[in-house]
Amino acid sequence: MSSESPALSVTGLYKKYDQFEVLKGLDLTLRPGAIHGLVGLNGSGKTTTLECILGLQDFDRGEISVLGHSPGNLHSAQGKIVAIFDSPSLNPNLTVRQSLRQALLLCEGTTRKPEELEAQLGITRFSNFKIRNLSLGNKRRASIAHALLADPEIILLDEPFNGLDAGGVDEVLALIKSLNQQRGTSFLLSSHQLPYLEDICSHVAILHDGQIAANDEKSRLLGSVQSTIRIQTDDNARAAEIIGQQAGLSLQANSNSDMLLVSSNQVGPADINRQLVEQGLAVSEIVAERASLDSLFRRITQGTNP
Amino acid sequence: MNLAVTGFIKALRSELLVARYTLGAWLVVLLPALFISLQFLVVRISETGAAARDSLLGQGDFDAMIANNAYGHFVDGLSTGLTLLGLLLVAQAAYSFSTDRDSGALRHLLIRCSSRRAVVLAKLVHLHVLALLAILLLIATSYLVSGNLWEFGPIVEDGFELISEEEIAAEIKLGLQLALIPLPAAIAFGVLVSVVANSATQAVVSALGLSLALDVFKGMLGEYAYYLYATFQPSLLDQSYLQDVSRLVRGYSDVLVDERFLQLNQWVPFPALLLLLVASLLIVQKRKV
Repeated sequence: MSSESPALSVTGLYKKYDQFEVLKGLDLTLRPGAIHGLVGLNGSGKTTTLECILGLQDFDRGEISVLGHSPGNLHSAQGKIVAIFDSPSLNPNLTVRQSLRQALLLCEGTTRKPEELEAQLGITRFSNFKIRNLSLGNKRRASIAHALLADPEIILLDEPFNGLDAGGVDEVLALIKSLNQQRGTSFLLSSHQLPYLEDICSHVAILHDGQIAANDEKSRLLGSVQSTIRIQTDDNARAAEIIGQQAGLSLQANSNSDMLLVSSNQVGPADINRQLVEQGLAVSEIVAERASLDSLFRRITQGTNP
Repeated sequence: MNLAVTGFIKALRSELLVARYTLGAWLVVLLPALFISLQFLVVRISETGAAARDSLLGQGDFDAMIANNAYGHFVDGLSTGLTLLGLLLVAQAAYSFSTDRDSGALRHLLIRCSSRRAVVLAKLVHLHVLALLAILLLIATSYLVSGNLWEFGPIVEDGFELISEEEIAAEIKLGLQLALIPLPAAIAFGVLVSVVANSATQAVVSALGLSLALDVFKGMLGEYAYYLYATFQPSLLDQSYLQDVSRLVRGYSDVLVDERFLQLNQWVPFPALLLLLVASLLIVQKRKV
């Protein structure tokens, strides 16, 4: 596998459940060493996409390659590809340590040790607990340790932050960052937790209506989004008129009599404030909302292009 | 080593590790032996009571004499143990694949080291390992406990040896061999149900329900029952040869051995095993896991 080849490539993926077409020609490429976030509304097909990539369910059309392996043949990568699922996906009758010993059997040649990962994920004191007796957060930690034992090149995570407390989320984020930086591990993360993805991802893909609606480096995607300025004055109708005449500003359609929402490329809130005050208006609120993954996601999924 | 073989070995080692730590696997191995030990004790206590009564009444007959021969009890122990083992193995086989799919544990095996077919084969082999351990323990327990509670010896009536110990041993060996031949097919049936079912509960209930239904209805199938592997298994409505052996080693001379039945017993379970296995391997390729 050359460093130029994508770690993961999905081309023209179609998947239908009965008459409902979930994926309509999805294309996705994951570069080696990238942390790629996959976001989408509930039922948009994120988990279906991951399951198709992992060969856990059939798809109707399309091509998928993970480190050069087809989905039905990922086992031939011998542990270089692993996944962490929404549910813990471990045998509930085993203890944490037994479960990690089982993981060792699945991935010969790994340099990682169960004790080391238990300590790293803060589950050492639970190592003799049966998986079924753990809290959801600790089950998730155990399943992450189970996956990391394989010393993988690419990790696919489905909703990795579900059930974790704030400390747990920080641990997982730190773990992803360190694996990515120290070992060059590639990640595909599907999640609803947009702030966490924004914090950690190098690339983001937004899945909407069965296709990838936006997919690029995070900085480029966010750079393409106009910032929004929220304004409230004593006469919003007059304020809207003044803003409408100003170059570089445009009033958003979802503005109302209580609140004006203004898209701005170059003009900052200080300039707008000055103009409104000069026109004799009393500005009671002016807030600049920075371009975020959340705002980009909302715009795309609510039908407005960035 | 070939990737397919490596994947199979990894899956098998994983199955054996899980079996080592789970109650279900231990129950499959231990329960038949424990159950027949208890059965022997109950029979012995009731026989002792009956013997005391007969002694008080000054009675004693051939039936009482042969009841003291351990061979009959040994075979009864095997028959009961294998009936229970058959049901336990079907249940465990039905549980094996479906529970891993329910918990999601199967996904890690498939993504990291084994193909779906290798996983099914590993489960089948691991169930056979459990069966082998259970059978060895069952034979040893049945032999030791029956030998301790009764006495092994030839069938003798009025000083005349009706059946020698060598003849008894040969019959028991044949009966045991014929009773064990359908066991792999029963395991494969459980695995097939496990692969097809949508949940572990559904799989176990369906597999046990179908096994018991087959047992009940095989009597109504007439000649066709001979083409069903389950006919030859020791079961609740037992038609197996081991049941005849139980009477033979007790000296009953009215046992009619049907040679055709014995032939079919030897050959029918193999194609059944093959069919069930091929069906499992084909279906598992298409299942969402």
